[in-house]
Amino acid sequence: MSSTRVFDLLQGKHVDRVPLYHFLIGFCARNVGYTIADMYADPIKSYQAQAWTFEQYGIDGGPDYGYASYGGWEFGGEVKMPEGEWQQAPSHVTFPVNTLDDLDSLTLPDVTTAGSLPLAMEFSKLQQQNGDLITVILGGNFSVAGNICPPSMLCRWMLKRPDDAHKLLRIASDHIIDVVRYWADTFGADNVVPNLWEPVAANDIISPRQFEQFVLPYIKETNERILAMGVKHILYHICGEQNANLPLWAQIPMGDPGLVTFGHQVTLTKAVEYFGDSCVILGNVSPALVQTGTPQQVYQACRSAILEAKDAPRGFMLMSGCELPPMASPYNVYMMKKAIEDFGYY
Amino acid sequence: MATTERTAEILQGLHDAVVDFEEDDTVALAHAAIDEGVDAYNAIMNGLARGMETVGDLYARQEYFVPELLLCADALYAALDILRPHLQIEAQAEPRKIILGVVEGDIHDIGKNLVKVMFDAAGWEVIDLVADVKIERFAEEQKRTGAQVVGISALMTTSMLAMPKIIKMVKDGDPNVRVLVGGAPINSDIAATYGADGYADNAGEAVAAAQIMVARA
Amino acid sequence: MNRSPRIEALLRGEKVDRVPLHGNSTGFTNRNCGHTIASAYNDPEKSFHSSLQTAEQYGWDLVPQVFAHTLLGGWDFGGEVKFPESEYQGALSISRFPATTEEEVWNLQLPDPKTAGGIPYAMEYAKLQVSHGLPAIFFPRSAFCMAANICGTQQFCKWMLKKPQLCEHLLRMSMEHTFNVLQYWVDTFGAENIVIYMSSPSESNQIISPKQFERFALPYHVEFHHRMREFPIHAFGLHICGEQNLNLPYLSTVDLCMHPCIISIGHEVEPETAAGYFPGDIIYGNINPAIIQTGTPQQVYDETRAILEKGKRIPTGFIFAPGCELPPMSPPFNVYQMTKAVNDYGWY
Repeated sequence: MSSTRVFDLLQGKHVDRVPLYHFLIGFCARNVGYTIADMYADPIKSYQAQAWTFEQYGIDGGPDYGYASYGGWEFGGEVKMPEGEWQQAPSHVTFPVNTLDDLDSLTLPDVTTAGSLPLAMEFSKLQQQNGDLITVILGGNFSVAGNICPPSMLCRWMLKRPDDAHKLLRIASDHIIDVVRYWADTFGADNVVPNLWEPVAANDIISPRQFEQFVLPYIKETNERILAMGVKHILYHICGEQNANLPLWAQIPMGDPGLVTFGHQVTLTKAVEYFGDSCVILGNVSPALVQTGTPQQVYQACRSAILEAKDAPRGFMLMSGCELPPMASPYNVYMMKKAIEDFGYY
Repeated sequence: MATTERTAEILQGLHDAVVDFEEDDTVALAHAAIDEGVDAYNAIMNGLARGMETVGDLYARQEYFVPELLLCADALYAALDILRPHLQIEAQAEPRKIILGVVEGDIHDIGKNLVKVMFDAAGWEVIDLVADVKIERFAEEQKRTGAQVVGISALMTTSMLAMPKIIKMVKDGDPNVRVLVGGAPINSDIAATYGADGYADNAGEAVAAAQIMVARA
Repeated sequence: MNRSPRIEALLRGEKVDRVPLHGNSTGFTNRNCGHTIASAYNDPEKSFHSSLQTAEQYGWDLVPQVFAHTLLGGWDFGGEVKFPESEYQGALSISRFPATTEEEVWNLQLPDPKTAGGIPYAMEYAKLQVSHGLPAIFFPRSAFCMAANICGTQQFCKWMLKKPQLCEHLLRMSMEHTFNVLQYWVDTFGAENIVIYMSSPSESNQIISPKQFERFALPYHVEFHHRMREFPIHAFGLHICGEQNLNLPYLSTVDLCMHPCIISIGHEVEPETAAGYFPGDIIYGNINPAIIQTGTPQQVYDETRAILEKGKRIPTGFIFAPGCELPPMSPPFNVYQMTKAVNDYGWY
């Protein structure tokens, strides 16, 4: 496992080939014989499973800890660890905010003890010990808000009670700052790369106008404050169908360079067009393809992605567009590395 | 009523007939025991069961192998079926119970069948779930019967994966129940990792292993 | 498509640069490529490509390329089989044996060598192999195993002691069926394009004694190799499955049809022991499959290394592989440890 290429890209150095970046969690558990729940409940096993899998598949970068439902548990709700063959990640059992009264009494949690954060901190210490990129994975502002209350409620508030939506978004934003500051104080701001996942802001859910009103201001402000702490690079996972949001995303500072990841819904050409001068581009192989496609289809999709984006000005890393399914066929995952070997060298 | 000498002759005969897997002889001697008033429990424990102990020793010394064990078992059961109805209820304490089965997905039951013989011979009540047993059934049957021990067998590396789940189900139902595992891919380390209380390398060791587990409970 | 250069070199009696690595896998390779374990038994196309792809991914040598057994007594002679379905079913199983009574045994007919049981699947697989430049696999059980599979091992064991004539009849039927189907393979591919890989799990001393082996199994091994002299096949491998240390003195007296052949052993037999009994042959094996499934990666790596150190001392050659089929549910990272250890310690 090597983070060298990733560090080199972030420092603007030449790399010998396109890195193969990781977004696989449950897959790693299955690869080493652990449960998917282990990846979220046991930092040591989670780190180990990822490190081993990255070694086996020649994946660049170090292990990460995080999950898409971030926010609910941290603000006092309940989550369930994945079990059975159909569950991939922690999921909500109860949301902390279900009524306006709940919103009124919502307070910022203690970031040293809330929800998954102690586990995440333990994990980041492993990252530090092993010389990896030190990351902290949270939702983006809108997704954190959409995990504190049900996303459908947030959507309704945006239209019917916009002040309450803004109130929740303010709390979510302040929380993100608190967490990043905690990580920065612990590890040094320039060593931390916050990873912020923003699936709830996809155009499958909200319009670009709603993005402009309820997402853009908060993410922009939060990122500015994070960068002002001394953090150099922010990774934003711009998940799902977000083409109509791209001009707005492009207004958000991500660092020098930032890192932006895209799903198959956004072409890499467009991604480079909007972000190529300021960010390392990551993406965009369809996870569903890796799970259900033939090896040749996966190989060709990777080849296309590499050829489309390998000359992005600040660099490109091949990655699946969202988390690789735990049940993805291992040989298909191997195809990603094979495509890098065949087409990824400069 | 048989004399002391005749009783000893019948018991020794039963022992030898089991060891020599002479089914006709065990049947004849079982009938003789009943006709001549030899206590059925005595005939079972000191004739048949003792014979099976000797068979176990021969197996451990690699003088007997599976074919011999199977025929010894046939000889034992043929006599046991004749003697059991004549057992005096007050002559025996409540037998210990064991559930035996081969896990879901696996039909290899020779080993389990041999273990069954050993437990039958030792006076246990055996609830045999046979083979390809759905994983929930072990705990269900334990609850229904109150068995003190659950014995799980797997010959294949795929079916052995069911064992930890079964053990958890059994223990969740009653943590005092003891679980014994066995089968070709299993060893004592794997058994411990799976949460089993005991492991038997072969049929000959199974009863002793179960008795130790129950004594520790 | 290259045949396995290292294995081909060993078969020619030449030295190689590194110990070859074989996966000995059907279910695992199918799962690795997103298919079910059942595909290993009823989908030759999927199974063949899975085998190639997984061998590529893990750096395995391809020969012998394993599919389901070409011949299966219980299936070929008219019994019923069940394909693996649930997560706990690793292989095909016989749900009804074709001959469990004396009458049924005496009434057994030789099956059609082209259509019985899984033979059509095996033929389809073999054609795929040959079309890709690989030798065709012919994967029988020994006569003893096939015979025991016709009536069930338990029944066969009892008959060995009480009614040996029934066993002899089943053994004879099994032997004839094997050669009928082999002739079909020879007629289709030519003997020189066939690799025979025979397995013998029911002969294990965990079931029968060495004396029973000598009486019921050995004569048929002798006959098999005697008759094989008229078929100049490409290679022969024998998978001596399970605990068979007590059988080896007898088995080693068989005048094998060719040398070197591949002697595959389970973890119960030491490589040096096997080499001592088969001094002219290549030894294949023998990490305990259960360790691959349940051990830590370090345990797999260390065990592989330890076996390599023993195997490399065998002058006629050594192929590293699991001692029996690679468990389909093995954690892939553990399987990778074998590749890693062979790359680290397998060089001469």
